[in-house]
Amino acid sequence: MIKVKKSEFNKFIENLQENYSVFAPVTDGKATAFKKIKSADDINNKVLNTKRSPKEIFFPQSEVLFQYTKEGMEVPKRDEKPFAIWGMRNCDTKSLLMLDKVFGEAHQMPKKDMYKDPYWKEKYDNCLVFNLACNEPLSTCFCNWFDGGPFDKTGSDIFVVETDENYIFEAVSDKGKKFLSDFKTAENASDKEIKKIEKLKETAESYLAEKEDISSLFFKTKEIWDEPIWDEIAAKCVNCGACAFVCPTCHCFDVSDEGKGNKGKRIRLWDSCMFAIFTKEASGHNPRSQSTQRVRQRVMHKYNYFMDNYDEHLCTGCGRCVVVCPVNLDIREVIKKIINY
Amino acid sequence: MKNTYIPFQMKVKKIYMESPDRTLKTFDLSYINKEDKFDFLPGQFCEFSILGKGESPFGIASSPTEEDIIKFTVNRTGSVTNEIHYLQEDDIVGIRGPLGNWYPVEKFKGQDVVIIGGGFAFTTLRSLLIYMLDNRADYGKITVIYGARNPDLFIYKEEIKEWEKRDDLTLHLTIDNPVKGWDKLTGFVPTVTKEVSLDPTSWCVVCGPPIMIKYTLPVLTEIGFPDEKIYTSLERRMKCGIGKCGRCNIGSKYVCIDGPVFSYEEIKKIPEAL
Repeated sequence: MIKVKKSEFNKFIENLQENYSVFAPVTDGKATAFKKIKSADDINNKVLNTKRSPKEIFFPQSEVLFQYTKEGMEVPKRDEKPFAIWGMRNCDTKSLLMLDKVFGEAHQMPKKDMYKDPYWKEKYDNCLVFNLACNEPLSTCFCNWFDGGPFDKTGSDIFVVETDENYIFEAVSDKGKKFLSDFKTAENASDKEIKKIEKLKETAESYLAEKEDISSLFFKTKEIWDEPIWDEIAAKCVNCGACAFVCPTCHCFDVSDEGKGNKGKRIRLWDSCMFAIFTKEASGHNPRSQSTQRVRQRVMHKYNYFMDNYDEHLCTGCGRCVVVCPVNLDIREVIKKIINY
Repeated sequence: MKNTYIPFQMKVKKIYMESPDRTLKTFDLSYINKEDKFDFLPGQFCEFSILGKGESPFGIASSPTEEDIIKFTVNRTGSVTNEIHYLQEDDIVGIRGPLGNWYPVEKFKGQDVVIIGGGFAFTTLRSLLIYMLDNRADYGKITVIYGARNPDLFIYKEEIKEWEKRDDLTLHLTIDNPVKGWDKLTGFVPTVTKEVSLDPTSWCVVCGPPIMIKYTLPVLTEIGFPDEKIYTSLERRMKCGIGKCGRCNIGSKYVCIDGPVFSYEEIKKIPEAL
């Protein structure tokens, strides 16, 4: 493990910028989001969960698939530097692994190129992820339900712990090891500092609410698929879709054309299963016309369907949906209700 | 890496008006570049796009045995299909495909096959029927039940006349309500399916509007067809066609990659399928 003094942090970021486009939490007005930074001064390391998740770095809310003219179609050229993301938390680094399953392949399909999403892969495949440990988790955090944790390293290339004076770096992936071994000017962290990490970890974990046993969630959701419990759960929901937009794992999108005459572009935009027109076909047939069906779809996708296809729940317990829901529909309560039904 | 989101271009070779109410048109497309030519099997679909207007999924109505053209029949119902109806011969369109799975034509080999269709959903069934007729020796008895609301709404009317003349094919045409001059069957597809005597040892393929599928499948069970020998093709709103965009799921299955063809056995396991 190596360390970077806090007083040297800006210099570290500047060095990083030489080879990478660096993204980090930036506070603009009242909201914090992951943005491409100009200088290290833009970074806000104090905010734990950004309002919107960092999925938008790889899968932007609106993305041009191609531009077209009379001559033909062209995919827009991207920043040639690979991405480095500073300050992601465990709930977000884990979500990238889940999204990579969706965009990098297709469940149970032969590994064919046609199922790879080139827009996701070109950004994600070469990126460097710095996972910053959460020293003080929030009351809405429930990463421990999904075997994550404030000091869990899953999905990161380099794991970082903030101590009083330093940032302590630990390489997790091969990419991370290579980066740290090339990092000549760094000092090794002392034993005392490494011991301190254990202490910080214990404190952080004490902030979290008790872990709920969700081992029955997969079977239970399947069992109660036809039960009236869904009407109870959906009664409060206004189908605004805010939960899906801030969620680090929600990945549904719409495809739309914008153009005039022979010139224009095809774009993809975030969409949500909460909206009635999401599944509405041109004929008028709508498989999920009722609010209850849509709420059930979202819960089932997270805690049953994704498990069926990829062997894990499509949720990292980041708690963003708990924070933004305008009617206080707390997903933790929904899970408990289902388990105890 | 292949970018499946980018369509390739095809040219409109021929347009047929299928119904006097002008809601149904068939488009024969030809390849512009030889390297775009793709292999497919009956039941697969493509995303058909008009740049600037959007993209919609349609089942391929031509058979792989029909060289050099790809056929789609389009019901004018929304903004994209409206634009498709404005197309003229020689216009250029965008195509992505083939997408999805297909009717299990390999399993059908040497066996009897029943095809049940309704309305303008006969498209992929036409593909299947032509494919089997072009490889006639590979298949046993072929029976077709095809229903439409009224005689005008059958698609491929000229071809139906040819099919009626064949002695290696049993064709039952039916309309919902009696019409003067109609000398064939009258009644909804599920009822007709029950009335014409079908052999439950055959394979069966059903495609039509959701309501028709829903009421026809139980009739087949009643006749004695086992669930694993009944196939149907489902319709959902498919945007990406490669299992990413998330709107065509039924349970943990995505119609665009796990389907659109499913056996009745599979459908019974998936909630919300019908």
